[in-house]
Amino acid sequence: MNPASEPDQPGQAVGPASQDAAEAARKLRDMIAKQFGRSLHIRTLDTGSCAVCEQEIRLLSAPHYDLQRLGFFFTPAPRHADLLLVTGPMVRAFDVAARKTYEAMPGPKVVVATGACALGGVYPKDAFVHGDVGEVLPVDVWIPGCPPSPLALLYGLSVAVGRLAEKAPGLTFLAEDDPEGGEQ
Amino acid sequence: MPLWSVRGLRRGVVTTRYPAKPDQSAAALPTPPAFRPRELTRQDADRMIAVCPRAALRRREDVLIFDVGACAACGRCAGVAPHAVTASGEFELATTTRSALIKEIPILGDQR
Repeated sequence: MNPASEPDQPGQAVGPASQDAAEAARKLRDMIAKQFGRSLHIRTLDTGSCAVCEQEIRLLSAPHYDLQRLGFFFTPAPRHADLLLVTGPMVRAFDVAARKTYEAMPGPKVVVATGACALGGVYPKDAFVHGDVGEVLPVDVWIPGCPPSPLALLYGLSVAVGRLAEKAPGLTFLAEDDPEGGEQ
Repeated sequence: MPLWSVRGLRRGVVTTRYPAKPDQSAAALPTPPAFRPRELTRQDADRMIAVCPRAALRRREDVLIFDVGACAACGRCAGVAPHAVTASGEFELATTTRSALIKEIPILGDQR
């Protein structure tokens, strides 16, 4: 389930039946985003991270960032959680625990992979780690950064509930002063 | 009582308004690099790949493949090729598709 990813592909819808289906899907997504938009409970899951991502996540509930004002709350139990915030490269010893955590969450649920380890950028796949959270859990939102700053996490959570539009696909990472480049 | 809490009570607001408004502290964040394709040579690219502590950079002929998801924003690539690399200033990088974080940078510095 992912309220943020709108199938905005013009020319894909053909018949009236698929239009109806797309309309129904949009309505459902809007409804879920509205529900999640008011209050969302987050369970963090450390799958072998170095704990710097956890430090940044913990800062979210500090007075400066004040996560609760946006309707996000941390919960100690996956059964109360709507969103699973996963850090670390997913060590293989954690397979069963990760699956159990995911299955214990009531639907609809969102999985957010946090930090470069979780995105597969740090540890290559080997006998000890999967190296990528996506290998084990269905990831809805990816938050890069090593570690992602609390602002980047706030942005990622807002993307996950569909409050803000993602802008990563439009970025080119070409410097603005280069005649070839400029961000779009 | 710490001074900042007194100051906060007087001003009324202590929290950042982010994401409704930009946060001032965002300017100080380390951010992934942005590249200048015209200044970038294949030699620069290979040196940057050698110093990158992550698997964030790869080269395929005249294209530098930059995986933003793997980048730690350490700035070592800017250290070996300061003429071709600058900070992008982008930290709002969360995305719903992993492939959206893999960027292709053309290497045009050898053509001059």
